[in-house]
Amino acid sequence: MKLDTRSVGPVTSDENTQEDNSEVNERLTESDVQEDLLRQPQLMMKIVEKSLLVAENLRDNYYRNTASFITHLRQTIDQTNRGTRENPILQTFSVKDAIWEEFQNELVSFIDGGIGQSELSQVPILLRVGSYAVRVGEGNLAERENFGYYPVIFGDLEGGSKEREDFTDIVRITAELLGGLSALNRNSDLSVLLFHGPLVYLMDAYAGHTPFTEADIDLFLKHYSGNEEQARQLKENFLEEARLDIYPAMAGGRSDEWADLRLFEPLSWIAFLYRKLISVALNRKPRPIIAGVVERGKSRNFSEKVLLKRVFRSLREKGNQNYFNEVFGLSDLTSPKNLMDRLGYTDNLLLAMLLDTGEYSEHWRVNKSTIGLGSGQIRLPDESESSQADFSCLRDGGQFGFPSIRGTYIRVSENTEPIRIEVFSKLGEDQVKEAVRRVYLYSRLLPNYGFPVGLDIVDKFAHVPNWMTRAYDKMIIHKLGVSLQKGEITDEDMRKVLVQAIYMKRRDWIFRPTARE
Amino acid sequence: MEKEKEEIQSRSFVGTLVGESTSKEFRLAVTPEAIREQDIIAVDAALNEIEDNGGSRKIRVWAKVQKIERINPFFPVEAGHELAETQTNPIETVLSLSREIVSAVCQVLGYELKGEESGKLESLRYPPKPATSAYRPNSEDLERVLVGNLAENQISVMDIATLSNRTNVDVKVDGHAIVTRHLAILAMTGAGKSWAARRIIEELANKNYPMLVFDPRGDYTGLADIEQLHDRVDRYYATFPIFEQDADTVVQIVNNLGYPLTDTMMTLFSDLFNATKRFYEGEGNERISWLTDRLDDRNANYIHQHEIQPDLWLIANIADAASRSIRDARDGNHENLEFLQQICWSSLPESTNPTTLEGICKRTRRAASQLRRMETVNQEIAGSAQPMPLDRAELVQDGKISIVSLAGYTGDFQATIYSIIAEELFEAKVTKKLKWPFLLLLEEAHNFVPGRATSVAEQQSIAITKQIAQEGRKFHMGLIVISQRPSRLDETTLSQCNSYIIMRMVNPADQTFVKRVVESLGEEEANLLPNLEVGEALLSGQMVNFPILVKMKEPESRGEREETNAFEYLKKVRTQTSNS
Repeated sequence: MKLDTRSVGPVTSDENTQEDNSEVNERLTESDVQEDLLRQPQLMMKIVEKSLLVAENLRDNYYRNTASFITHLRQTIDQTNRGTRENPILQTFSVKDAIWEEFQNELVSFIDGGIGQSELSQVPILLRVGSYAVRVGEGNLAERENFGYYPVIFGDLEGGSKEREDFTDIVRITAELLGGLSALNRNSDLSVLLFHGPLVYLMDAYAGHTPFTEADIDLFLKHYSGNEEQARQLKENFLEEARLDIYPAMAGGRSDEWADLRLFEPLSWIAFLYRKLISVALNRKPRPIIAGVVERGKSRNFSEKVLLKRVFRSLREKGNQNYFNEVFGLSDLTSPKNLMDRLGYTDNLLLAMLLDTGEYSEHWRVNKSTIGLGSGQIRLPDESESSQADFSCLRDGGQFGFPSIRGTYIRVSENTEPIRIEVFSKLGEDQVKEAVRRVYLYSRLLPNYGFPVGLDIVDKFAHVPNWMTRAYDKMIIHKLGVSLQKGEITDEDMRKVLVQAIYMKRRDWIFRPTARE
Repeated sequence: MEKEKEEIQSRSFVGTLVGESTSKEFRLAVTPEAIREQDIIAVDAALNEIEDNGGSRKIRVWAKVQKIERINPFFPVEAGHELAETQTNPIETVLSLSREIVSAVCQVLGYELKGEESGKLESLRYPPKPATSAYRPNSEDLERVLVGNLAENQISVMDIATLSNRTNVDVKVDGHAIVTRHLAILAMTGAGKSWAARRIIEELANKNYPMLVFDPRGDYTGLADIEQLHDRVDRYYATFPIFEQDADTVVQIVNNLGYPLTDTMMTLFSDLFNATKRFYEGEGNERISWLTDRLDDRNANYIHQHEIQPDLWLIANIADAASRSIRDARDGNHENLEFLQQICWSSLPESTNPTTLEGICKRTRRAASQLRRMETVNQEIAGSAQPMPLDRAELVQDGKISIVSLAGYTGDFQATIYSIIAEELFEAKVTKKLKWPFLLLLEEAHNFVPGRATSVAEQQSIAITKQIAQEGRKFHMGLIVISQRPSRLDETTLSQCNSYIIMRMVNPADQTFVKRVVESLGEEEANLLPNLEVGEALLSGQMVNFPILVKMKEPESRGEREETNAFEYLKKVRTQTSNS
């Protein structure tokens, strides 16, 4: 079924009929859009993939209807850009004019973490956060570049709930933030600090981890802080805030006990580090740009909260709220969420079809779901029982909560999907524009990846090499072997499992029948 | 430990062993710019003696840097393309330029026991330890290893080159291997092969080794200009020995010179040739007077001036005289025909068609003229050379260098002249008529020993060269073959050479051929061939301990072709002209 162009809210019938061919650019007709999509195999594959995943009755015209929908969205963008439309559906901006000359002498730091896993099991062993700082335009290589890495062996940490799959995430987020803070502290003229991944994660999922001990924090700070005094100061600042405000709100009757034990509840500690990062940046002139860059996301936040919300509003304004149902022959396509659910659209897919190369979308406040932070369970180190905790004091907007984030999507090249850039709201709206211009240039150097080359460099640098994890494997096997020989492990079944783990390959272990069977 | 560290530092640390080592090869993480490909490096190690219950001996492992790899893992290829497209300097971007990784693949050459260094390398049977430091050995140690066993046999040492990457280190080679097991010098034009050959000749001359040089282009005429060699170099020009060929070959020569004989002429030629030989070998002046009376003035005068010679002119003149005699006989005057029959051509009947003889005469005379031009050019290039001795064994004398100039002759003539001389000398050696050992040097060898013969002359020269290559050693007859087109050389002959000097070579066919035939040349060395500089050479085979990249030392002599600049020469002639 073909989409009726006149019934789409953002485009009025007058506008449609008074089409001036001379002003219509080549991206604005339906056949142009179809041709445009066909020219981009990676995008077509996505659309085909989505069309196979949606309900059977939506499949037939999925591609054509999507193209039609995109055509009208592109037309509204064009109208907005030409100033002929008052209520924009989506505003886009170009950064094609960004050139390297603008950013000479800037000091840029890229941060990323990598996790190494043992071949013996899937248990992560080691985290390695890498930093790559480069001064643009500096020809003296010794002055130009600085690489740093900060290893953390998970087994060395006393806190954190190691049984949880997301344990490595809270360690990585902590380590990356400390890496960023360290880069900021060490370089008073740092211009740009870029993280690989979201600037702030969906933190409510990480609530309830066993607090880190002071020894754990010392382990982190050993690598990150410029000096011992700075490390001590950072710890004490947090513990003071926690003792006076955070723990009383979080731990209720046990707050003083938490403070006396000098515990670092992970989310409070991470939120503190975010605030620290922002406060250091706020005190700098010129203010450094701090951003996170996300690739291949499945996020729908922008489409749901901004783009489709406006589409539906516009449709309702024109009494055409049932439009999508009529097109797709359904009855529940009446809200952005339902539309996204049923048609499988994501921010990346829609914006890949809407943004031209070198264009970025208007920024919006990214919902990081900290509303989900509420009451939960937590277990202190060396305790077997969990106790009640309330994490709501960490919601964004609160004094001790996670910072709010603004995001935008930018399309770097024709071959790649848009990437998302996140910045701290508190550092000002300029951050979006300035971050985008730089990220565009950094990413143009990898046109087939469409991602900042500095983050690719630090990703490779932080990658935990196999030889390193293999060495740990050997060490673990050796220690287990020694324990077995010394008779320290007496449980018969455990002994058998260990012997198999040490001497057999995974395949042997799974498929080889025992003599008893 | 500290002392050892200091010792390593003083010997220039170049890198650390990484990855998997074998007893044949190891990989080195290289200190940037510390080494070059083909450098010789060393690694200290310990060798545990299995049989002596745990004793350990310190050894020095010697290795050659085969390949150096340099990569910036943080500089993606697509970034390079983007920079190129936008004409952006990478320094003006956030790309990383500092994290290069330089590693080298090193070939183990052998080891020496420390404290007992003799230069002789033993085969390593256990890999060197990873994480060991590698260093540049000092020049003294390096020279010792390069000389190797030769140190005990100074009489054989020939100083011909320096290490290419360390020109203060002399490379000495085994002269015995060169003069007994043959040497091939292979390189493209202008790479310096004649230069290398002259250096070797000079070194051998210093040892008074007899040599015979076949010089098709006048590259070796300058040897006589060296003071020490002045009295020891004899230069010869070559005359083509027509009368030492059979009749068919002479027909072939006339044909090849561009004046083909008809079938009828060829039928008669054999008798004519034999008659001419008999005429030449005859005695008394009567026959010569008779001949000049039968010829026109020009040809008669020539004989008056130069006497008769065993050449094509004489054949043509006899044909001319015979033709005239037959015509006289047919006119009733039988006297001349009878005289001719009596002195050399008894089987010549009156019925013979004089026109056929006239045809032979004309064509042979023209061919003779052509051949004479070659001889003249040859003598001109040979300069103050002397004619070849009738007894060719005299070309080989104690301490002498005989240079046979072949310049001016076409390929087949050169091949024929060479094979006649080589065959005689080989026979003289076999029959012990010639007692001196000697070395035979063959320039432009692809013309004498081609892979596939296209003429009788080439067949003969291939046959004798193969024989010398295969059996010469038994008779103390050595061979140096020099070629700019190795792929055209006979494979058997080349493979009989046990030592090689290989210089710059860009022709892919030549490179492939050399890789196939020269077993001692490694893959990495072979890959260097197109990039060698003029004068640089890979020495390989029995004359050296291991294949090595060198810079050939300058010979004292100059080649004929190392002439002055053409424009300077013009200037000089102009000055001379205006002065006169």
